[in-house]
Amino acid sequence: MIVVNFIFVGLLLVIMQTTVCMPSPVWLLAPDCYYVLVAYLAYRLDLLRSLIVLFPLVCMLDVLSGTVLGMYAILCFSGYFLLRLISGKLPVNESLYQIPLVGSSYLVVSWGVYLFLRFFEPGELISWSWWRMIVRALLVTVLTYPLFYLFDLVLKYSHRSFFPWNRLRLRTDNRRRRQD
Amino acid sequence: MRKKNIRKRSSRFGLFRIVILAGFLLTLALIFLVSTLGSQKFGPLHKLVLEAVGPLQKVVTIASSYIGGFKSEYLDILQDTLRLREENKRLVQQLQENEAILNKSREALATNASLRKLLEFKNGLAQPVIAATIIGKDPSAWFRSVIINQGSNSGIMKGNPVVNSDGVVGQIFTISPNYSKVLLAIAPSSAIDVLLQKSRVRGILKGTGTLTYRLEYILKTAEVEEGDHVVTAGYGGMFPTGLPVGVVSKVIKKPRGMFHEIEVSPAVDYQKLENLLIIEQQNFTELKQMERP
Repeated sequence: MIVVNFIFVGLLLVIMQTTVCMPSPVWLLAPDCYYVLVAYLAYRLDLLRSLIVLFPLVCMLDVLSGTVLGMYAILCFSGYFLLRLISGKLPVNESLYQIPLVGSSYLVVSWGVYLFLRFFEPGELISWSWWRMIVRALLVTVLTYPLFYLFDLVLKYSHRSFFPWNRLRLRTDNRRRRQD
Repeated sequence: MRKKNIRKRSSRFGLFRIVILAGFLLTLALIFLVSTLGSQKFGPLHKLVLEAVGPLQKVVTIASSYIGGFKSEYLDILQDTLRLREENKRLVQQLQENEAILNKSREALATNASLRKLLEFKNGLAQPVIAATIIGKDPSAWFRSVIINQGSNSGIMKGNPVVNSDGVVGQIFTISPNYSKVLLAIAPSSAIDVLLQKSRVRGILKGTGTLTYRLEYILKTAEVEEGDHVVTAGYGGMFPTGLPVGVVSKVIKKPRGMFHEIEVSPAVDYQKLENLLIIEQQNFTELKQMERP
């Protein structure tokens, strides 16, 4: 259920970003909420589940956005593994430090992907603009806390199950003996 | 005994006096009534009565008008306030409903005007067209594209030109059965064969990612001025000839190099894109087959 719920959340974020949050094709303040989801998966979920959620997300992004297929795959997976590595090495796990890390990783990963694509697909991309990307990184940073809160709610809700499988499962051994 | 007799006598005398007095008064009243009915004259008695009752009437009238004034000033206002409040609420609600209807009417009017303009443009084109609406926009910072609600099931093919009533918007980039992605003309990877309407000089129009185009490969020997109209050249069979693309906004004449640096303002307002037309190219399939090795 966790995977399904987060895939659904990712789908919703992408659709909102491409419709409601983009009043015109040249709108600057388009929040890259998908990256906040990538960061959340890196911080909270295990590797396997995160990858299962990420695959349909990057597929949707590649289809709906951009003209270079695979760009969002590189961006999302690079961001995911970078954040996972840093959060593992970081001695402090406070939210206060995680929030700016999301924004700065977004900037760094975007720049890296841009250089990569510029090398392999010259002429396809709009030239890099630092102030535009800094504005976007700031937007990602600002949206991190509320979206993390929302994702925590989704995770909490996902842990509840409609069917009490635990209770239905038959135990072969004596439960009392096991507790002793 | 004696006291009882005395009392009996005094009570009889009292009664007699009362009867006499009543009789006298009744007689006077009768005389007064007869004289009044007969002569119908406002006599001295009437005037006396009037003089006595008049001041009392005056006092009561003043008092009642004062009370009436007090009531109208303070008590009636309360009632009026409540009544007005109810009516105000009702009128505000009615106003809000009317405003909502007005807004809907304005929107319908604007949509009508926009669609009418698009229809006139469509009727002016020689080729068949397919109308489409934008359903999604590219949120990335490096690309410029939109998703429309028509696909291969409607007869759309990759490379079909996309226009609106103002001019060229872009080209179909990818298609699925019911949806397509349009590469906007302002995208850096877009290149359209154009010519300057006045001098008929041919060049390539490329997007910059911003709301301006760049017109390349115009030789310095060509005459170009700000305000020159740029239209599609129609070579290659991709875009029909003569579709408006933009207007020359800046000509940068550099001392070195063979070509001008020309900026073109788009004819289309990319911030208000909504309804588009996809031009079906009749000979498109043949061109595609010719391009294959």
